[in-house]
Amino acid sequence: MSDFDPGRRRFLGHLGLAGLGALGASSFLSACASSASGPTTGNGSGAVTIQSNLSSPQAKAAMEKLIANFNAQGKGTASLNTIASETFRTQLPTYLTSANPPDLYTWYAGSVANDYASKSLLLDVSDVWKSLGDYPQSLRTLSTDASGKQIFVPMNNYWWGFFYRKSNFAKWGVQEPKTWTEFLALCETLKGKGVPPIGIGLGDTPWVASAWFDYLNIRINGAPFHRELLAGKQRFDDPKVKAVFTRWREALPYFDPKGKAYPFQEATTALLAGKTGMFLIGTFFADAAPKDALGDLDFFRFPIIDPAVPLAEEAPTDGFFASAKTANPTGTKALLTYLSGVEAQEAYVKASSGIVLPANPKAKASDSPLVVKGKAMLDEAKELTQFFNRDSSDALQPTADTALTKFIDKPDQIDAILREWQAGAEKVFKG
Amino acid sequence: MNKLRTGAFHSGMILLSLLWLGPVIWVVVMSTRSFDDIAAHGVGSLPRSFTLDTYRQAWTDGGELRALINSMLVTVPSVALSLGLAAMAAFALSRFRIPGRRTILLLMLAGNLLPPQILLIPVAKFSELTGLYDTLWALIAVQVGFGLGFYTFVLHGFMRDLPGEIQEAATIDGAGTAQIFTKVMLPLTRPALAALGALSFTWIFNDLLWAITVLRTDDNMPVTPALLGLQGQFVSSWNVIAAGTVIAAVPTVAVFLRFQRHFVSGLALGAVK
Repeated sequence: MSDFDPGRRRFLGHLGLAGLGALGASSFLSACASSASGPTTGNGSGAVTIQSNLSSPQAKAAMEKLIANFNAQGKGTASLNTIASETFRTQLPTYLTSANPPDLYTWYAGSVANDYASKSLLLDVSDVWKSLGDYPQSLRTLSTDASGKQIFVPMNNYWWGFFYRKSNFAKWGVQEPKTWTEFLALCETLKGKGVPPIGIGLGDTPWVASAWFDYLNIRINGAPFHRELLAGKQRFDDPKVKAVFTRWREALPYFDPKGKAYPFQEATTALLAGKTGMFLIGTFFADAAPKDALGDLDFFRFPIIDPAVPLAEEAPTDGFFASAKTANPTGTKALLTYLSGVEAQEAYVKASSGIVLPANPKAKASDSPLVVKGKAMLDEAKELTQFFNRDSSDALQPTADTALTKFIDKPDQIDAILREWQAGAEKVFKG
Repeated sequence: MNKLRTGAFHSGMILLSLLWLGPVIWVVVMSTRSFDDIAAHGVGSLPRSFTLDTYRQAWTDGGELRALINSMLVTVPSVALSLGLAAMAAFALSRFRIPGRRTILLLMLAGNLLPPQILLIPVAKFSELTGLYDTLWALIAVQVGFGLGFYTFVLHGFMRDLPGEIQEAATIDGAGTAQIFTKVMLPLTRPALAALGALSFTWIFNDLLWAITVLRTDDNMPVTPALLGLQGQFVSSWNVIAAGTVIAAVPTVAVFLRFQRHFVSGLALGAVK
């Protein structure tokens, strides 16, 4: 017994010490946490916060530079807050509806912005537009909401087209097609040479297929019908929509069969390696290309199907809108005015590696042949659309993804697919 | 015959472990490739370049240092706080006849069955109401709140099985409830606490959902959303992301190695009643 007691005492004492140690450590660490997270509450008084989804390194650096320039001008202060684009997309409604929202946001023009405007979440920026008199009417219309006030300030846009490698087209001895017939002939030639003619990347990025739908629809039925369709004023099981898929079916045998498996980034790799002939994609894909391949890239516009239909092109427009609840509307508008100015737009184009066209007509775009050609193509267009989700909503996009992926798999079930699409779209529009 | 079996066993296990290690090795290899190499040959191809600049890019351009500090500031207090509270709750629920203790325990367990996704908006709104939105405090509170139920449940199972005689002996020796808890129960629960500590450290450190729900300033983001931030809108530098991932994995691997023994033995926790 006498041997047992001290042993147990020592045992207990030892453990008690360990327990104390753990408690001490925890209080010390929470003290650390408090000192670090304390000062981050609130937006500060005068500074305009800009919530940006431009998270790729080049674009982020470009934005940082713009904000630094703005702060150096002394007309106000701004702080940039870059959030991963995927996070931003899902959290944007939360940001906008929060009690103390950030002031300014990067986002898309058109129906996406108008949706928020109709919920009175966006700041009226008509004042900013007074100094943007030389902007084209198309951009002004795009930035105006249903009640007639401007709620968006465009920063830049880009274009879609069939991209290819000049050296490969030369090697295969083929030319850019102008019409649908020439396009199909080109596909046939490439197929004969053992190259899958049309690259696509639908794994993880099924929305890429929507570019085909958009383009075929604006080439066959025209941009006004396309807009009405995406706004729910026309039906997806309309014979006019079916005509789109009849055309698409003509090109379907020429699609790269591997394209269903990998995302568009890998489709880009395949195109550059000469494993596919051409690729309908937006200019952002060039970010996924190695620098030495950029000079070898060229593109042609989506072939003309019906010459009677006014020429339309896809030109997704990016820019900014502001929260209606901003505590500092004057500062926010000052920042918007700066961002829409020639100096800021040229600086952004120069610093970001992406192939983008500045929205301000006086700002010079990059003078690479590709950009000159792209700008000319958009200038020639009678109508501009943006892209499926931007002309409708992020909620409608999945219905398109389902329908189009299914169509590419089983083109002969098109009637059933369109019926399902219409049913899915009706649910979204009823919301 | 025996030799053959051993040989087959070993080669089978080697293949199996390669299968497990494959993705890890792939990420490490990718983190040393240049962007142009990946862009020209695809993410799956054999490396044709070697660079360690990706780690510098992830560390400085990606702001990983700041993010790792944020992660530690959230994870360490969350683990300490939730395990401390859970241990107290489990002690009370398992060693004392508290009225409705079964209901309390079931309620805690039921909370764990709710998918966190349906709670995103309430949590975001609530953190705004309390003025904690966009602070690390909000994240700590959420992590503690959501971990508590499960930790209590596991610790309850463990403490219930400790022999009652120890507690009786301590009582006879004149120890009060607090003393019994700190000097008898906590030390005996150490294996369970260590295993849960390693587990919860990994969970909280790797959490993305809550971080992006209650935070919106990039300087406040822990490491998982910061890694996501390395992705561009359309195109991502996979090599830099891979390098960032390797860096971000270091703390969890370190914790796991430190607590490995407890972790493996702790897996059987609550398996036997």
